Amino acid sequence: MDDLLAARSTMAFSLGFHIIFAAIGMVMPFMMAMAHFLYLKKNRQEDLELTKLWMKGVAILFAVGAVSGTVLSFELGLLWPGFMKHAGPIIGMPFSWEGTAFFLEAIAIGLFLYGWNRMNKWAHWFAGFAVGLSGFASGIFVVAANSWMNAPAGFDWVNGQASNIDPVAAMFNKAWLHQTMHMQVAAIQAVGFAVAGLHAMLLLKGSHSVLHARALKIAMVFATVASVIQPMVGHFAAQKVAEYQPVKLAAMEAHFKTEARAPIIIGGIPDVETGEVYGAIKIPGVLSFLAYNDFNATVKGLNDFPRDEWPPILIVHIAFQIMVALGSLMIALGVVYVFFARRGEIPNWFLKVLVVSTPLGFIAIEAGWVVTEVGRQPWIVYGIMKTKDAVTPMPGVQFHFYLFVVLYLFLSFVTAWLFRRQLQVAENNMTKGAVR
Amino acid sequence: MIEILLFFIAASVLLYVVLGGADYGAGILELMPLPHLQNKQRDVINEAMGPVWEANHMWLVLVVVILFMGFPGVFSLVMVHLHIPVVALLVGIVARGTAFTFRHYDAINEPKSQNVYSMIFSLSSLWTTFWLGVIAGSLWQGRIDPTAKDFIQAYVSPWSGLVPFSMGIFTICICTFLAAVYLVGETKDAELKKYFWKRGFAYNIAVVISGGLVFVASYFEDSAFLKEFLTHPLSVACVVVATLLFFLLWQLLRRNQPILVRMTAAAQVSLIIMGWYFAMAPAALITPQGPVSFYDAAAPAATLRQLTYALCVGSVLIFPSLFYLLKVFKLSGKSLQGDSAQNDGK
Repeated sequence: MDDLLAARSTMAFSLGFHIIFAAIGMVMPFMMAMAHFLYLKKNRQEDLELTKLWMKGVAILFAVGAVSGTVLSFELGLLWPGFMKHAGPIIGMPFSWEGTAFFLEAIAIGLFLYGWNRMNKWAHWFAGFAVGLSGFASGIFVVAANSWMNAPAGFDWVNGQASNIDPVAAMFNKAWLHQTMHMQVAAIQAVGFAVAGLHAMLLLKGSHSVLHARALKIAMVFATVASVIQPMVGHFAAQKVAEYQPVKLAAMEAHFKTEARAPIIIGGIPDVETGEVYGAIKIPGVLSFLAYNDFNATVKGLNDFPRDEWPPILIVHIAFQIMVALGSLMIALGVVYVFFARRGEIPNWFLKVLVVSTPLGFIAIEAGWVVTEVGRQPWIVYGIMKTKDAVTPMPGVQFHFYLFVVLYLFLSFVTAWLFRRQLQVAENNMTKGAVR
Repeated sequence: MIEILLFFIAASVLLYVVLGGADYGAGILELMPLPHLQNKQRDVINEAMGPVWEANHMWLVLVVVILFMGFPGVFSLVMVHLHIPVVALLVGIVARGTAFTFRHYDAINEPKSQNVYSMIFSLSSLWTTFWLGVIAGSLWQGRIDPTAKDFIQAYVSPWSGLVPFSMGIFTICICTFLAAVYLVGETKDAELKKYFWKRGFAYNIAVVISGGLVFVASYFEDSAFLKEFLTHPLSVACVVVATLLFFLLWQLLRRNQPILVRMTAAAQVSLIIMGWYFAMAPAALITPQGPVSFYDAAAPAATLRQLTYALCVGSVLIFPSLFYLLKVFKLSGKSLQGDSAQNDGK
């Protein structure tokens, strides 16, 4: 493994790990606050139990998210000093806001976790809500910083140096709005399905059905609303990518030849040498329509770009297919859920489907970030700086990589184990409670 | 503009040590408990750290953000040449934070798993504190060499040497001292109180000795920084006042004034850090080619302006909420131990 590949793998692994906890940290507090609100308003005991159950989940996952986020803030410099030296002053602004939001989140979570019976009950409720609010805001800021790497703005690049820096223009670059919207909606969707899946499992086991039914309902409201909004946001995002990163769009679609009435290519294995996509379904005109709202529009193909500026086509194409397929599946799940929810009875087979769907949203998030990040290669800052020119001069980065792989795998394992124990105990207590 | 940012960096480092450092110190204290007090001590530390450790940790993140946005020259030098100690620090941060949380939120409270979490928590607290000190010491040891050619010279020697290692030990002593003194006010249990009191006294002496070691190490390494420190009147004054405050501290401890005790100990550590600032300023770090000044390594004016706005607006939001947090959990004057309210955490 050479140092560039090691640095890229480390970054991919650290981000891929952190993003799961970050997404949970910014959405789950809202669900928790909703259950808490129901308790404060209606004074039902199961709402309180649910709030506390979710609170424990938030506490564990927030801690993992906070420390892995700290690691990332350092890793930007440890692995990509060449990038940070130039980019820091340009895109530091969203990071400084993110730091502020993260700080408020840490304060709020301390107040919420330990503030039971110590604070005014509505101030305490607000602390829990504020965890979600500041987490959500920090997600927006971080993704805005990333979007600048795809659509660099707010500076002039002369002889390898940035001048005329305008941090505000850099933050509000062409990609910030659709990237942040796409990610925030995806986070709601992923966490919604994951929480729903867990409670569907507990419902099937037959423990404390009132509590889990309510939990499922809250989670599925989040999941369904987000799933229905997501295709519109995704469509908006694709059009923006077509505009400012056409080579990424071409890679996502495995679209080699520039043509009018460009077909959409569903599935298939692209062969970079021949420019063919084997085993794909092609629907003429649809890609043109999706990218430019016109079935006859011309869509630039990969062959129009220098070969050394192509991202890895196979990875980007497949990751994109996975994301879209899972997105579509989640819409279907949402619709079916609404159908059963209106009838007032959710059949067991559908609960089983929801259990299987627990990780869907997170897989889609990971696949989506593979599209964004791998699709930007070979650039770290699109059109400005190559990834290979930004990597640390220190040799032996692979040891850094191995270390964090081992550390994070171990952490994932312990986190999963803790969750199992939490659920076991919760199940036992609640079953007893229900019998009583 | 730069002065405001330097103030924020200085304040964040200081608050990180005074608030976050004590959290590390608590972990170190757990390494050497009296067997019959072990469980009690663990409960007190859980309750004392639980609400605040994540917020205390944020000061470090703030320093990193200010550095990479406002002073990219300093940030990239540190991250390239101190890669190894920074990675060591990060591993410690991850292990410490998660072990502490897992210990508290493990639904099944059994001695076996609790002891494993505690072991990881205390060892990683010790480890992290050591590397924090090493990184601080590396900044003024003067071996961060941007022109270095071979691996050892570029990536190992910047942080190895008597100065960084003695700083590591000094930092461990400072943090443990703070933790012991802060914890006196967190418990109602007379025996435990006395135990923390004694540990505070022992680490108080350790701070003085290990601080002396840092001076001796700098003397042997012929550090230019030592001369700066000893000839700068404010640096010397800070250290003298910090030492004199020990008398006040022990009077207050005897009179059982937990809030004032905390403030005095925090003031002492702050003075030591300020003494360091006075000797260093305006240099961020020292290379064989000479000091790297914050003024030379700063980002363009437009960036510094935005960063200052963000920090000022951020302060308006952060400080009141932080004060509220400390008020609810730390300044109410009554200890948490024994309150029935605490059961809600589990």
